[in-house]
Amino acid sequence: MSTALLWRSSRRHLVRHPWQIGLAVIGVALGVAVVVSIDLANTSARRAFALSTEAVTGRATHQLVGGPGGLPDTVFRDLTLAEGLAGRIAMAPLVEGYGALPEKEGKGRRVLHVLGVDPFSEAPFRPYLKPGDGGRSAPAIDLGALLTHPGAGVLSAESARELGLRLGDSFHLRVAGADRTVELAGVLEVTDEGSRRALADLLAMDIAAAQELFGRAGTIDRIDLIIPEGDRGGKLLGRLAAALPPGAQILRASSRSQTTEEMTRAFRLNLTALSLLALVCGGFLIYNTMTFSVVQRRPLIGILRALGATRSEIFALVLGEAAAVGVAGTALGLASGVVLGRGLVQLVTQTINDLYFVLSVRELALTPLTFIAGAVLGIGATLLAAAVPAWEATRTPPRAVLARSILEERYRKALPRATAGGLALLLAGLLLLIPHNLVVSFSGLSGVILGCALLAPVATVLLMRLLRRPMGALFGVLGRMAAGGVVAALSRTAVAIAALVIAVSVSVGIGVMIDSFRQTLSRWLERTLQDDVYVTVPSRAGGFVGADLDPAIARRAAAMAGVVRVETLRRVELATPEGPVRLIVLGTDLWGLARHELQQGDPATAWPAVLDGGAVVVSEPFSRRHGVEPGAGLRLPTDAGPRLFPVVGVYSDFASDQGLVLMSRATYRRFWHDPLLSGFSLNVARGVDADRTIERLRAAAGDAALLIRSNRALKRISLDIFDRTFRITAVLRLLAGLVAFIGVLSALMALQLERMRELGVLRANGVTPSQVWQLVTAQTGLLGLAAGLLSLPVGLALAAIMIFVINRRSFGWTIHMQVAPGVLLEAFGLALVAALLAGLYPAWRMARTSPASALREE
Amino acid sequence: MTPLAELRNLTKTYEEGGRQRTVLCAANAAFARGELAVLVGRSGSGKSTLLNLLSGIDLPTAGEVVVDGVVLSALSERERTLFRRDHVGFVFQLFNLIPTLTVEENVLLPLELKGSPTAGARAAALDLLSEVGLADRRAAFPDRLSGGEQQRVAVARALAHDPLLVLADEPTGNLDLETGLQVLELLDSLTRRAGKTMVMATHSPEVVGLADRVFRIEDCRLAERAP
Repeated sequence: MSTALLWRSSRRHLVRHPWQIGLAVIGVALGVAVVVSIDLANTSARRAFALSTEAVTGRATHQLVGGPGGLPDTVFRDLTLAEGLAGRIAMAPLVEGYGALPEKEGKGRRVLHVLGVDPFSEAPFRPYLKPGDGGRSAPAIDLGALLTHPGAGVLSAESARELGLRLGDSFHLRVAGADRTVELAGVLEVTDEGSRRALADLLAMDIAAAQELFGRAGTIDRIDLIIPEGDRGGKLLGRLAAALPPGAQILRASSRSQTTEEMTRAFRLNLTALSLLALVCGGFLIYNTMTFSVVQRRPLIGILRALGATRSEIFALVLGEAAAVGVAGTALGLASGVVLGRGLVQLVTQTINDLYFVLSVRELALTPLTFIAGAVLGIGATLLAAAVPAWEATRTPPRAVLARSILEERYRKALPRATAGGLALLLAGLLLLIPHNLVVSFSGLSGVILGCALLAPVATVLLMRLLRRPMGALFGVLGRMAAGGVVAALSRTAVAIAALVIAVSVSVGIGVMIDSFRQTLSRWLERTLQDDVYVTVPSRAGGFVGADLDPAIARRAAAMAGVVRVETLRRVELATPEGPVRLIVLGTDLWGLARHELQQGDPATAWPAVLDGGAVVVSEPFSRRHGVEPGAGLRLPTDAGPRLFPVVGVYSDFASDQGLVLMSRATYRRFWHDPLLSGFSLNVARGVDADRTIERLRAAAGDAALLIRSNRALKRISLDIFDRTFRITAVLRLLAGLVAFIGVLSALMALQLERMRELGVLRANGVTPSQVWQLVTAQTGLLGLAAGLLSLPVGLALAAIMIFVINRRSFGWTIHMQVAPGVLLEAFGLALVAALLAGLYPAWRMARTSPASALREE
Repeated sequence: MTPLAELRNLTKTYEEGGRQRTVLCAANAAFARGELAVLVGRSGSGKSTLLNLLSGIDLPTAGEVVVDGVVLSALSERERTLFRRDHVGFVFQLFNLIPTLTVEENVLLPLELKGSPTAGARAAALDLLSEVGLADRRAAFPDRLSGGEQQRVAVARALAHDPLLVLADEPTGNLDLETGLQVLELLDSLTRRAGKTMVMATHSPEVVGLADRVFRIEDCRLAERAP
């Protein structure tokens, strides 16, 4: 059947209400843009990581690794000559590290991934580094120069072009605080997109040059292996294991990328969940818009029904309108998502570098799947949000005019059911928080949010009953009308209030969570960082381990006048089949250890056991992640082979969500031959100026580049990193808030504009334009007040869930909930201002419109 | 001769604030083809309810409505809608034109709802627009027309799809006397010429003079009285 005229009518309705439809389109666009940009940022980071891992791992099936000090390079020679192995297993030694290029004006830091290889062993592993390969990747490598020139290296042709380098040019690379010179001895010309991205920022050098660059003469990081599958491979692995020196172990090459991927899972999931929140807010906006669109046209739909339009035609009509909004919003959102993604990928990369591992993302990975998912989500959420009002439209009886009072009565009758539904959803949401699964927990959180939204109408009715009398006392009949009007038009006001409650409570929840986290972190820093001066080696590459420091410098510092105590620090990552274990080596004395707060274990016995007894304590995230508790044993790969360390406590730590194992220097030295340090801290005698000590320390360090910070500076930097980490959360919170704000603005504006005739009647009866202003403002103000008041308890509940459930399960940290009145006041103000702003336009328009024309607008 | 529409023991009760209010009790009537029947009664007496029952918009509490041999209460909601679409034309007190459609599109709407109209049907519908004197306003939107003009468009719309039954609910209630009379004459002449049955609810004494039969609703009873 042809309903072309119905569609034409619908199209004209959309065109005649541009502000209403425009705001809905913007709402969908923002929601989609946030989801797409987060996905693009996550995907780009993952893709960059996968490509760089692939480029570095090559075709290796296994990796032979040593302890923190690496492997002696004699191991490679011995294994290649070993009986039963020689010629049967492809092996390639590797030295790996990072070096930073000098920062350019206006451009961020650029870090090169340095790969020291043996060119003659490379062919089976990384063909792009094979000298003279004239295939798809045709390297122009001067092998002679690469092997003989000190500091010679090879870059991809694209990287060389970007850096303005030609063959034979030299450039500076900052490694462990010192500037080193590298000569470009070759460029890798790659033609395919994957290789181009994989090789971006990769600097390949001869292994000896890389050892010199990193000051690791005589040691290598690992040996890549290609071992065939099946029995033959098993036998070879057995033979290889028998020939290994103590402390060396064989890991599957794939396990490394998997565990690294696992590291950032919770971080990415949290970002995705937050981005979906923006889409939920966008969905509410569509729901609002379509509901108002239906409500406004209820009499019209009644006429169409009387003329013979069927329910399915009306349903299709409303859904069609929503689809138009969805398609327009989605298209706009996808385009904006790419723009937003370019900014967010930098924030995501920064956080990954701060918290997890070194990663350089140079461009967005624009995968079709992201756009398809964004489009499906945008259009799907729009249709889903419009389905309820579309269904509602089909319920409109085919009568010319349906009395408003009947509609409202029907809505009020449905109120107990909505309330019961809200309570059920709330309960279901709370129950979903019990299982220890992050995705289920997020579903529970969504259930709680939606349950609270459904309870908003009944809470509004109760609140307005309470306010009617004081409003009357304050503003007379107009005050009573304002309060009564909110309840009288509950079918419209409730949706607007629920949307505003969701937006503001989410804002409160995230705000309280971040605030609590920051304060908990600040207290932890106060307790943990008690020394006067902290010394590390600058490592612009970032990452957990950082650069190595010569222990002689610490000894020189200890001998300086005025220095009363030196605490050394060693950070290492131990490779295990289950993934890397991060080890913190501390403990010159009990005082240094005991400043860490034990959550489990007896400090009186635990710390002495750690200091002298060979025991370890693990951080809270480590304990949660690996299920390790006091009394258990922790197997770690030492230079003398695997060894079980007794765990005597679980301590508070916010340095890594991957978890840390803390052991004393004495224990570390017993099992690992690694004299190097990652840093040290010192205390000065009372009355000695810490800044003067820093100056003297610089002088004592000689040429060694050191990063020396005072206690206060280190705390400030730590909090800066925290703030940087949560910047992306703040951006998402802002965007979700913006979507909700637009939603509420459009809902309240529609509500007030719908009352034009009623206001016209009031004007005709002698109400002045300023009184119309008062009435409209009082009513929207009351809506804001209701939403603001309701959102505070809901927001605090959301904060508690995020702190005690989501955060603990995502990152394993115990955060103490702190409620700063400022956050609550800010949220309350947001609700009130949003509502008041929404009343401005209708009030202005009403005050300018003559009562006669308002009355004519039926 | 078989009547076009029949009311058989028709009762309609509404629930209002927890109480039952009966608007029609065991009403019986038959409307012949081509006749103009007028319903009179006080406001709220049930005239509009009776029109809604006749069109299948509403369902009776008891009894049945038969139009052209079809028992409306035996039909599903969708079937009643399709029946109404094909066989019933409406004229409302408040005109109820679709504001987002032009005058011409409003007249063609019932035809479009029935399916793709033939060229002949379209031409006939547009002839109706000429007959109500608004051919020159065909491209205008309803808000540019006066009340009388809007109601004339509504009359053309009610007849455009060649219905069996035309139902008019206070068609002059929102117009001044002179305009009301013009609309009334137009409605009467067009329906009679097309041989349609029309049932009209009204307060207007002028209509009673044009009617073939007059029914009065009082205290929920429907009774015929002399025109």
